[in-house]
Amino acid sequence: MEPRGSSGVGSGNSGTYTPEIAESLRFEEEIQSLIDPSFDASSAAGGSFTALLGLPANQAVELLHHPGPGEPPASAATDTLRLPFGCSSTFVERAARFSVFATDDSPASSSGGGLSPGLKAEPPDSDSPPTLPAPAGKPRRPSKRKECEKSKAKAVAKKSKSAEENTSAAKPAAEENTSGDKLPYVHVRARRGQATDSHSLAERARREKINARMKLLQELVPGCSKITGTALVLDEIINHVQSLQRQVEFLSMKLAAVNPRIDFSGLDHILSAECGPLAVASGCGGGASDPAMWASDTAASTGGIRRMPAPPQIWHLDVVHPQQSSTVWENNGVAHPHFLLSPATSLVGYDPASSVPLNSNRLKTEL
Amino acid sequence: MQVTRTFKQAFLEQMLLGFRVTDVSSKRMSFQEKKSVIKLSADVALAVARGSRKWTRGLIANLSMEQQKRQLPRMILVKQYERLMKPCGSTSWKIPRSKKILRKCLRVSSTRRKKKLCAVEKRRRVLRRLVPGGESLSGFSLLDETLDYVLSLRAQVCLMQSLLMTCEASKRR
Repeated sequence: MEPRGSSGVGSGNSGTYTPEIAESLRFEEEIQSLIDPSFDASSAAGGSFTALLGLPANQAVELLHHPGPGEPPASAATDTLRLPFGCSSTFVERAARFSVFATDDSPASSSGGGLSPGLKAEPPDSDSPPTLPAPAGKPRRPSKRKECEKSKAKAVAKKSKSAEENTSAAKPAAEENTSGDKLPYVHVRARRGQATDSHSLAERARREKINARMKLLQELVPGCSKITGTALVLDEIINHVQSLQRQVEFLSMKLAAVNPRIDFSGLDHILSAECGPLAVASGCGGGASDPAMWASDTAASTGGIRRMPAPPQIWHLDVVHPQQSSTVWENNGVAHPHFLLSPATSLVGYDPASSVPLNSNRLKTEL
Repeated sequence: MQVTRTFKQAFLEQMLLGFRVTDVSSKRMSFQEKKSVIKLSADVALAVARGSRKWTRGLIANLSMEQQKRQLPRMILVKQYERLMKPCGSTSWKIPRSKKILRKCLRVSSTRRKKKLCAVEKRRRVLRRLVPGGESLSGFSLLDETLDYVLSLRAQVCLMQSLLMTCEASKRR
């Protein structure tokens, strides 16, 4: 499904983004040469801090993928891979603005619209951001870069010492920008009236990184975007983390209360089948419709499960232990359409010895 | 990208495996034991599903330290997360060392800069205690790991809610 799903975030992504970053930086040079006729495009550093935010932008784009089209609840029914947590539209917009790949005209709609096909077909997950701006076309990029310039750079810098910047920016570049085929250094432009020695530049790069992370966290934690000041934002983040941890404890307590009656092996079929994302979506969104969804989707789930080679063996075991399976059916009170659930429960619940090889078989087919 | 279907599947599979291994459906355990076992399963499942991050390694280190008394059922879970701990096996030793270094730094810098200790630094220290394995992180990596951890915690809460709901739904039938 997704080969790099569980690997570290962002480790393999920067390689796909640097051609775009290099291109956008070259456009910036063109803009700069237009603005300032005395600007020497060949010698000067063409980038701004947006290039420095290349890595946060990468991770912002990655974060951008998972919430998906979070805010319109009306489209929940149509979108099968809706992830209910994380995302407000403002977050998507802000993260899209951080990313160098959002198009200029309609960042929210295009990134939202571009994300849902990207989410529905998850293997080309890393391909969707590069392919999304490619058809967007070049003329949009310079205008987007101009917007970035206005929003990010406080003043157009007059001096930019490429030699010093290269040596000082090499360090942040080495730790952030892992692939160095087109752009080995992150060219940092000194702002007007600020020192340009290597130490302060490196410090400023570091501070920008930290501020970018803080902004992302602010947008993630609900109710934090209005707060100004690092201490209060950190307070909110701490409260949020504590509340989430308490929620986990509470849910584990509830699971312990409900647990003894249920055998879980049969459930993981259904959970990992296509009902999984639907169940999560409905469950987190306030899922009173969950039982209805199970009833309506058993056809799909049983159809999905029948494809696996395990069921014939399950039926065989039912023949061997008819009385036990009938008692299981009575206990669970399952109707006939759910017969694939009950044999599974009868397996592990009542005959662990013979079902162990069967379980491993089923695990293999699932995994 | 983070909360993908693979993540959800890996989480649920690992959690159910944990339930099966620890035999939590039996009637022999007390309620408190069941709760702690389920929470442990959930945390291990989260760490395994997320992969190799600093906070996942710290989480697993904390869990294995807590569960020293009950070795046997954990060993089956341990083989899963030894796979995780392999790439950076010496992190657990780094943690006490950098704690000392951090303390020395704080002691030295506190004499010079008393302002920084007040608002932001106190909260940073609290955050370090909250995020697993956060004692050795500082600055940018702390915020990075916090971000990742918050996203994963949300996913964990949602998945556990859906698991709970499916249990209750099938129980009702």
